[in-house]
Amino acid sequence: MKKRTIFLTVIACFLIILTSCELDNYDGPDAEISGSILDYETNELVRQDIMSGATISYIEHGYENPATQYMVIKNDGTYLNKLMFSATYTMNLTPGNFVPIEEQEVIVKGKTTLNFVVQPYIRVKNAKIEKVNNTIVATFNLQTTLPNQKVKTIGLYAHLLDIVGQPSNAFKLEQSIGAVVDETVEQKLILDLDAYSTSYFSGRQYYFIIGALLDVSQAKYNYAIPVQIQL
Amino acid sequence: MKILIKKTTYFVLSFIIFASTACTDILDLKPLDKISGEALFSDPDGVKLYMADLYYYLPVEDFNYDPIKGFHVTDGIKDKNTQGFVTDSYSLDGAESAWGGTFAESDLLWWDEAYRLNRSVNLLIAEIPNLNVDEAAKKKLVGETSFIRAYLYYGLVKRYGGVPIITDVQEYIPGETDNLKVPRSTEKDTWDFILKECDKAIANLPLDASEWGSSDRRATKWAALALKSRVALHAASIAKYWLQAPLSGTAVDEGLVGIPDSAANRYYLEAIEASDSIMSSGKYSLYKPNPANPTEAAVNYQTLFETPSVAPEEVIFIKGFVRAGNKTSHNYDWWYQPQQTANGRAHPGRMNPTLDLIDMYESYDNPGYSAPVVTTQDGMVGDANGFVAKKKYLHFNSPEEIFKNKDARLFATINYPGAVWKDVKLVIQGGLVKPNGSSIIKTKGSYTHTDGITYYTYGAESQFNYSGFDSYGAGNMTRTGFLLRKFLQEKNDVAAAWNQSTTDYIDMRYAEVLLNYAEAVIESGYNANNAQQKAKNALNSIRFRAGHTVEIPLTIENVLRERRVELAFENRAIWDMMRRRTMHTEFTARRRMGLMPLLDLRGTSPQYIMVRMYFESTITFKEKWYYRAIPGTGANGLTQNPLY
Repeated sequence: MKKRTIFLTVIACFLIILTSCELDNYDGPDAEISGSILDYETNELVRQDIMSGATISYIEHGYENPATQYMVIKNDGTYLNKLMFSATYTMNLTPGNFVPIEEQEVIVKGKTTLNFVVQPYIRVKNAKIEKVNNTIVATFNLQTTLPNQKVKTIGLYAHLLDIVGQPSNAFKLEQSIGAVVDETVEQKLILDLDAYSTSYFSGRQYYFIIGALLDVSQAKYNYAIPVQIQL
Repeated sequence: MKILIKKTTYFVLSFIIFASTACTDILDLKPLDKISGEALFSDPDGVKLYMADLYYYLPVEDFNYDPIKGFHVTDGIKDKNTQGFVTDSYSLDGAESAWGGTFAESDLLWWDEAYRLNRSVNLLIAEIPNLNVDEAAKKKLVGETSFIRAYLYYGLVKRYGGVPIITDVQEYIPGETDNLKVPRSTEKDTWDFILKECDKAIANLPLDASEWGSSDRRATKWAALALKSRVALHAASIAKYWLQAPLSGTAVDEGLVGIPDSAANRYYLEAIEASDSIMSSGKYSLYKPNPANPTEAAVNYQTLFETPSVAPEEVIFIKGFVRAGNKTSHNYDWWYQPQQTANGRAHPGRMNPTLDLIDMYESYDNPGYSAPVVTTQDGMVGDANGFVAKKKYLHFNSPEEIFKNKDARLFATINYPGAVWKDVKLVIQGGLVKPNGSSIIKTKGSYTHTDGITYYTYGAESQFNYSGFDSYGAGNMTRTGFLLRKFLQEKNDVAAAWNQSTTDYIDMRYAEVLLNYAEAVIESGYNANNAQQKAKNALNSIRFRAGHTVEIPLTIENVLRERRVELAFENRAIWDMMRRRTMHTEFTARRRMGLMPLLDLRGTSPQYIMVRMYFESTITFKEKWYYRAIPGTGANGLTQNPLY
């Protein structure tokens, strides 16, 4: 009799404990958002750096003192976030390689697409990267979209992965410009591989990319498309 | 039924008993192991005790500061295991042996503890007028609490920018929190508040520590001036340089981060005046300013940090470590001992000074210029990509020869390959080159030469007889070729256990004041009161103390190099880079360097070659990291810093 009481008590306790183990009563993320960073004139994707590049900042409406959240933009200039909550958001791009844009309100529901149309600071045109003998030769033209604005630096960056860029490179060649650049003048960077012989693995494919930085507060590098070359 | 009645009776009865006890104060006991606020402050000794606690919690970046876990890690509450991290593990100058040197957003934080300390200070400040002591003692306490407050807010502003300034004792009314919320002040107002508190401390603190009676480690007027000199220089640098790393957003628009550059010269002037007050007082001087030769200079410099009590003329503010055990000790000798003298310590070798720092040291042959370590016959120092067989290296009979004629402070700050430490010659070797040109590098191995002698990769067979480059102990060996010597006990043996080091930490010393002065003068172009000449003399007096004999001109490069060398590993380097906004330019895909000695068996007799090499992958510092994220903005409603 006594044993049975204890047994029942224990069972009862378990039941009480177990009933409290309910899943939390909030719904999970139920929406997704995706889109691109696009050049307002050419409608081309504007390439970004993942590390210290521009990000998408967003604030969910309906809360007091909401924290700003951030989404990373992929290198190619597209983004995708599959874990969003259906709600109204204020979204913007953090400073990057384009003229800052106005923040915008967006209702995210189901699969939402939102493109950010921007004016990139610099367009790297006619980009050509070739291996000539034991050098990498990059030729290109720079079109700046802000009149009379100086170009600060140009560079040729190399990395094993296509995340290549100014903040993430295995080796690089940079050149300070500090002057207004004429779009019609061909720019040239010649990277002598002999000087970097211990920086890369011979025979492997490396991504090379041309970058250019406009002399504007908080500007980040603008890029051409990366090119893969076997060293 | 009967049972039910019985139960009800019991229930009612017990309820009555409970209810009646509540009507007496029988449970309102005063705890016997705690002192009430009134009792504490009514006794001058109680105030002293309270003050000791405030000093303990000051954000002094001493031997117990870990950028990850925070201040005073040996307090018995925090996990004392810092893994050997200090702020300089994140600078250009040193690296932790096992971990990367890159910031996380969770590093260098200090918020809750800061406001807890702030409340403690405010409680005492509010109580000072009621204390049972004479006016002179009250004056000193006003000065001391202002000093603590200034020190505290400096710890906050350099991390977060403008912060809420709370100077009264806030009352919590249950259910109401809005009256506790204080918005952030602008960054400029916060710096100005700190400088004002410094002024209050300067006006009220005693001229000599002896006026405190038994304790010579409490703040004096001179400590407050030295603090002001440091604070004003920091503020000035931000005003002048913060747009080198511009940010945007609400916090910038509201002035919570950033200072208008128009304020720079006023701050520089405040730094100049505060430093000059100390310099012209005649109260302080450099410890042993005129050594006979560089060897003596090195001994003097090492002694200054090994036994700071020998140099009251230089030391302005010190954090004492009194005895082994929790709270009153640290672990520098535990973490930074070379593996060869680890003597049973499980995790030695954790601080690895970089070649980037070693390169900064001058050579006596070429005063005024850093003398990068030359390893090849062509004299080029740009390549740090490791060993290349065909390269023409310089050969040395012993690895330490390469440092010949370098600034004395190198030998007192760094344990290098071939250095003698605690009577042991340090063996730091990364590999060997066989006669046929093939090499064994950073792989345990050996080679028996034609002379019949067996040579080992790391310079010796057993891992207890060498200190470098092996992966043994996951970080017990240096990976840069260098180890820390400054601050460690060479003469005295420290027990090989946790919390045994009691070397005092010099927080402010005269050399820093001189360097603050020189930097402020040159940055602002100030030339009243013969300042340019005085600044030049200040700069050179520090160099002469290090065995130099030739004067160098006052330039910003000279001042900054001198600062990096003189104050190396005093946890200043990172803040110097922060305030001058050079972290993001120095750390853009940056790889720090080490120096690897190899035993070259290609010649007629074995000789050493030294190889410049990168020891880690790239580090990039994000510009937003100049300001840390404000915690809990959802609840406290404060404006968040940019990009958090």
